[in-house]
Amino acid sequence: MRKTAVLALVLLTLVAGISMAGGGREAEGTTKLVFTSWRTEDIERMNRINQVFMDENPDIVVEFQPIKDTEYDAQLKSSLETGVAADIVFLRSYDAGLQIWDTGILLPLNDVVPALADFPGSARGAWSSPEDDLYAVPFVGVTHGVYYQKAIFDKYGLEVPETWDEFISVCERLDANGETVFAQGTKEGWPLYEVIFSGLGANFYGGEQARQDLMAGAVKLTDPQFVRAFETLNELQPFFPAGYEAIDYVSMQQMFGTGQAAMFIGGSWEIGIFEDLGSGQSEIGFFPPPVENRGDRLSYCFHVDAGIGINAESENLDAAKRYIEWASSPEFAQLFMEELPGFFAYTPGSYSLSNSLANDMIAAVEGADVTVRTVWEKMSAQSPSGNTLMWEALIDMYNGIKTPAEAAAHVQRGLDTWYRP
Amino acid sequence: MLRQEGKRRWFLVWYILPALVVYTAFMLVPIINSMRLSFFSGDGLIPNEFVGFDNYIKLFAEYPFNERFWNAFFNNIKFFVMVTLYQNILGFLMAVLLTRGLRFSAFLRKLSFIPTTLSVLVVGFLFSMIFNPVWGVFDQILRVLGLESLIRPWLGDRLTALPIVSMVVSWQFFGESIIFYTAGIDAIDDEMLEAARIDGAGFFSEIWHIILPSILPVVGIVTILIFVGDFTQFDIIYAMSTSMGNPGYSTDIFGSLFYRTAFSSPERGGWGMGMGAAVATIMFVFVFVGVGLFLIFFNRRRSKLS
Repeated sequence: MRKTAVLALVLLTLVAGISMAGGGREAEGTTKLVFTSWRTEDIERMNRINQVFMDENPDIVVEFQPIKDTEYDAQLKSSLETGVAADIVFLRSYDAGLQIWDTGILLPLNDVVPALADFPGSARGAWSSPEDDLYAVPFVGVTHGVYYQKAIFDKYGLEVPETWDEFISVCERLDANGETVFAQGTKEGWPLYEVIFSGLGANFYGGEQARQDLMAGAVKLTDPQFVRAFETLNELQPFFPAGYEAIDYVSMQQMFGTGQAAMFIGGSWEIGIFEDLGSGQSEIGFFPPPVENRGDRLSYCFHVDAGIGINAESENLDAAKRYIEWASSPEFAQLFMEELPGFFAYTPGSYSLSNSLANDMIAAVEGADVTVRTVWEKMSAQSPSGNTLMWEALIDMYNGIKTPAEAAAHVQRGLDTWYRP
Repeated sequence: MLRQEGKRRWFLVWYILPALVVYTAFMLVPIINSMRLSFFSGDGLIPNEFVGFDNYIKLFAEYPFNERFWNAFFNNIKFFVMVTLYQNILGFLMAVLLTRGLRFSAFLRKLSFIPTTLSVLVVGFLFSMIFNPVWGVFDQILRVLGLESLIRPWLGDRLTALPIVSMVVSWQFFGESIIFYTAGIDAIDDEMLEAARIDGAGFFSEIWHIILPSILPVVGIVTILIFVGDFTQFDIIYAMSTSMGNPGYSTDIFGSLFYRTAFSSPERGGWGMGMGAAVATIMFVFVFVGVGLFLIFFNRRRSKLS
């Protein structure tokens, strides 16, 4: 009998100890908010931004705990499911975010942050339910284009190309002089699709209108306009470095960032990465995707990348709401765009960016036909998704296994198995 | 007497109970639950729409799911065969040499086990760097040797990617085979070997007629371990060719297929939890049946030999 009593006492003490250790409250009566994202490279920068918030709100501690990009979706799902998720979470645009909203675990933000009504409609649309519930603050947009090493361009007196023909002749000049033209590899499919096809291809398949037509089923990827985009982009393959089939994304960045290649077809999110590798705004330049003929209107892929939402089961909802409200303010947008040049906030307001690369990227939007990645919206909601089909098709095209027409047909064949416009 | 024995039996249950409870809670229940999930579908985090055998039908018969599935299946078999060959043959020969009492054999025994203690992810990363076409030391060695014409995009070529990945796995777990085989060879009666030598048996006939038959059960155990390890292998693929099994799914095996289909969003190659659970169930059945067959095979061989 006594033994049982002692055992019960021990157990009780243990349980009490565990429950006291949990709860997420700091000793001094402050509230701890956990903020997760898929950008592990941003820890220091985000901590600096969050410090500003914490200085203004001394009762809240914001902890930024990113997860590796490729694991983010799985971890977010299982952590939300098991109730151990962060309070504030990064959400992907369109269907991936919507899928999480559908589980009812995100807080609708329409009333929490009234200022969201003034955000651009295209950005809100990427994180809205069909019933117009907004479940994330449209947080970050990214653009795509071509980076170049100024020193290498100067060495051969090359000018920034405006048209595709000029672009190809720049490649030829560099190649003839023995330079590595592009720091591009085809080991991973997503850069080929997100950056090369959506970024540089939009000018050839017909931009936003073509994307809308594709979604509506009015055109197919096997139609001449899209096949031509595949064909045109395939012209870059001879300028890829030796062994490009085995070069992964990180190696690509390292190659260009350390000045071992003249050009890099990339996204605006890479400004910071290149800077850390020693290629800052004075070493490298940026030009938007080359158009077909001089004077053509640029089709500019300005993709909706990340939104931030609130975990409705968070124990610190009030603090989370205060953070989200601050994250929708112009003050935050300015801070954020300065800390992370190349990530563009959708918060209405006028901003001045000190990074010239970011400035060039945002300047190109003026007068451009703004679009997003080709098969991202709706066409990637189920499997096989347009996105993964594009990865497969483009790897095979650049590795010489499929012709451009076969690559286009591969994507269409996969989409035809489930997509009904 | 009888009563006492009965009592003793009941006592045994108490010995098994803790392990049984833990095993049931953390293995049996999740496995059965995952099998149950494979009959459901749904977009949510937990599939909730009962679809019967639809997931399996999709997996076996519907493009592109069947293509991915059979591709992973055959890749896995290739992977298993390659690893078994590398690891068994090299491990066995190494073990024979190490038990010959060469000068550094004690040191070499220890050395050969070091890779096994490393994390698979570390090993994968290491070899990705070695085979990197930009900085990789492997291509540079070839260049120094004047074999420049042999350079290929090792991990980016469909023909070479899987063999290289299996070589890396074998390199890592080669030490394990050596341990098993040296233990097996050490256990052989020295008198038998001496008698054979006196009868004039050479090195190879010694291996063929004495060592190999004596350690056949060990070969069986090692092969079964490799079989289970390879058909549930995931880490090395993830580290060296991402969960997409790049290039073009040529290194995609069951483990990476399961991880990708179950845990990724459709945008990144996921097929939903229900389909993922179906893949996991097939993996389980396959490994279960496979191990059973191997056990029967090796037991037969042993009884035939003895």
